[in-house]
Amino acid sequence: MEEVGEQEQTPFLDPSPGRPPLSRAVSNTLNPGGRSEFLLQAKKNTILKSHGRPPWYDEDGHAVHDAFVIGVAGGSASGKTYVARRIVQALGSIPTVVILSQDSFYKKHGPEDLELAFQNRYDFDHPDAIDMPLFASCLADLKAGRQSNIPIYSFKEHQRLDETKYLYGAAIIIVEGILALHDPTLRDLYDLKIFVQCDSDLMLARRIRRDINERGRSVEGVLEQYLRYVKPAYDNFVQPTSRYANIIVPGSDNTVAIELIATHVRRKIEDRSRYLRKDLARIGPLDLTLGNPVDQSFPNLTVLRQTPQLRGIFTMLRNSRTRREDFIFFTDRLSTFLSEKAMEFLPYKSKNITTPVEATYTGKELAVEHICGVSILRSGGPLERGLRRVIQDIRIGSLLIQSEDNTGEPLLLHLMLPDCIRQRHLAKNSFVFLLDAQVGTGAAAFMAIRVLLDHGVPQENIIFVTFIVAACGGVRVLQRAFPKVRIVCGAVDPMLRETWALWDTTPQSPSQDGDSGGLGTPTAKTKAEAEAEGRKIWVVEPGIGHIGDRYYL
Amino acid sequence: MVVQNSPSSQATPASLPPSVFTLPQTAQLEALYTIIRDKETSRGDFLFYSDRIIRLLVEEGLNHLPVVPKTVVTPTGATYEGVGFEGKICGVSILRAGEAMEAGLREVCRSVRIGKILIQRDEETAQPKLFYSKLPQDIEKRYVLLLDPMLATGGSAIKAVEVLKEHNVPEDRIIFVNLIASPEGLKNFCAKFPQTRVITGWIDQGLNEKAYIIPGLGDFGERRYCS
Repeated sequence: MEEVGEQEQTPFLDPSPGRPPLSRAVSNTLNPGGRSEFLLQAKKNTILKSHGRPPWYDEDGHAVHDAFVIGVAGGSASGKTYVARRIVQALGSIPTVVILSQDSFYKKHGPEDLELAFQNRYDFDHPDAIDMPLFASCLADLKAGRQSNIPIYSFKEHQRLDETKYLYGAAIIIVEGILALHDPTLRDLYDLKIFVQCDSDLMLARRIRRDINERGRSVEGVLEQYLRYVKPAYDNFVQPTSRYANIIVPGSDNTVAIELIATHVRRKIEDRSRYLRKDLARIGPLDLTLGNPVDQSFPNLTVLRQTPQLRGIFTMLRNSRTRREDFIFFTDRLSTFLSEKAMEFLPYKSKNITTPVEATYTGKELAVEHICGVSILRSGGPLERGLRRVIQDIRIGSLLIQSEDNTGEPLLLHLMLPDCIRQRHLAKNSFVFLLDAQVGTGAAAFMAIRVLLDHGVPQENIIFVTFIVAACGGVRVLQRAFPKVRIVCGAVDPMLRETWALWDTTPQSPSQDGDSGGLGTPTAKTKAEAEAEGRKIWVVEPGIGHIGDRYYL
Repeated sequence: MVVQNSPSSQATPASLPPSVFTLPQTAQLEALYTIIRDKETSRGDFLFYSDRIIRLLVEEGLNHLPVVPKTVVTPTGATYEGVGFEGKICGVSILRAGEAMEAGLREVCRSVRIGKILIQRDEETAQPKLFYSKLPQDIEKRYVLLLDPMLATGGSAIKAVEVLKEHNVPEDRIIFVNLIASPEGLKNFCAKFPQTRVITGWIDQGLNEKAYIIPGLGDFGERRYCS
């Protein structure tokens, strides 16, 4: 498992005074056995994944399923986090899980509350301490497959920080907190509700041990807090919510219970992905080769004027014998041209100015709030220099999408998006230049557009910039699913052909997404060897070959 | 599908000579011009946005050069009937403002040769006079992209073409590239050299009493290099 997202560990995981998040040490000392390295590392509020995220949408581009949401409640030190992490572990290779902690949603404190908090006189165990509406709206966004920027609470400062933590793309969300089952709006969002039932004496014992060992607190202090806040809250607000649970899990010796839960969740998730795969097969290869060429009347596909220079540039690029430095030079020249063309599809408004000769002039200026690029790695990279020649300081995010070798299914491996897309309220006013070298099957572009839509970027604000579109290829699928997305390309090539991977595509490089560029240079690999490998790829013809390889390697 | 495949830029308005070509007059292009015309624009922005226009102009200018059929084999083994570039080219900039267009030219044509011409007004005759020229030796065998950002009265440009013709460059092998032209300047220039193509980004209203283009953008060289 590794993390999606580049942000460092968030502050609320640091041991600090105040109501402590359940620490890893609890499960270590009191629930020995059966843990893997990963379990100990599973961070809260971070999307965890075992491999890439497969498609979560149908052939029309609509998201098919919400995320599967599990609520885990129980007393303080009952072992909620342990249970959550064991579930993640037991799920095995299920991709993209997030454990969302209630602790993130403590309210922003005013000066009075803040003073109380520093005196350990603030009741962190009471439902009023939690910003339930924000908690519910963040969870609702994540469940629906939208991004969410969850608050970060600092136990050191006893305060919600100004920064937030960006989350997107979890197929399974595990919400844990003492009051996870308290709020009815939250309860409505859960697909599975779990209550971790633990003996009060055991919880107190764990708490004393943890607070003394890890925080240097006195037994006196721990008991004072326990009696004043923790115990009343448990009796009044936590324990009563167990009646909402679908399953009550014991706080210790719970291996069987966790296996049952994991089996249930895994089955639910597998049902969903089976349904999806069947669905996507219908827009698979057959459709691509037998279909009619791209609809000539489609108004949102713009092809550059086929001038003598443009044809000359394409001749250089298509020629397998073109030297690398020439290939790079002409790629940059073409991408500059494509970017200039793409700029024409942004909105402009009138502007009055005075020239240095004191003449007045009514001209135009760009009328966009935010504009950014998103490059589908690696093959979108060769379009970046051109874009920067047109908008010098443009933010360029990236998506790494690779196709799975045996199924050819695209997998989202990594995403790093500009702030104007991460923030939903900015995304709806953002224009995005989506960059990829060519549209063959269109699978990667399809996924990338879905990611942008999930973030709230309107279809009509997406301008997909690419060198080549295969006339019979996935461009039709894109058009059908996303009719308002503008596609700007340099050429429309007649053929899309499935072939054995006779060409050298370096296995460790992320360049094998069948969509992003065809082939590299032919290697010594024979047809028989290639067939033995059993890997087929789609190539655009005549095409440019594998643009990423030719530009970078 | 919108395929824009006319061989060259937009149709020339009837009132203009047939050898004049302008860039497609899009809102985007107008926005670029609005930035460089605005006297409040910083030098950095002036440089960046004038470079963008110059690149578009040079790309357009190159489309007037001949190409020859060329067949190539792609990395997947398919053949492609394309075209190859034909004929050697060079740039000639009219000092000092014309030099501002050289970077844009070299971004599109790497290591292209660039000649220079200095033309100033002769204070006695009030006529443009050649003060200096340094041109590639084989210039008569090359297509020449003549670079001067502003076509006002056309005096310097006419003098420059005369110099090129003295160096045996045929008139129809010269392509004059500028950012802004006045109707008067275009008329003068094209009357004198009907076979030389003029690629201009924008045609303005006219000239004021000091022969500045209105609305124009002031002194291009001054804004680019000094102010």
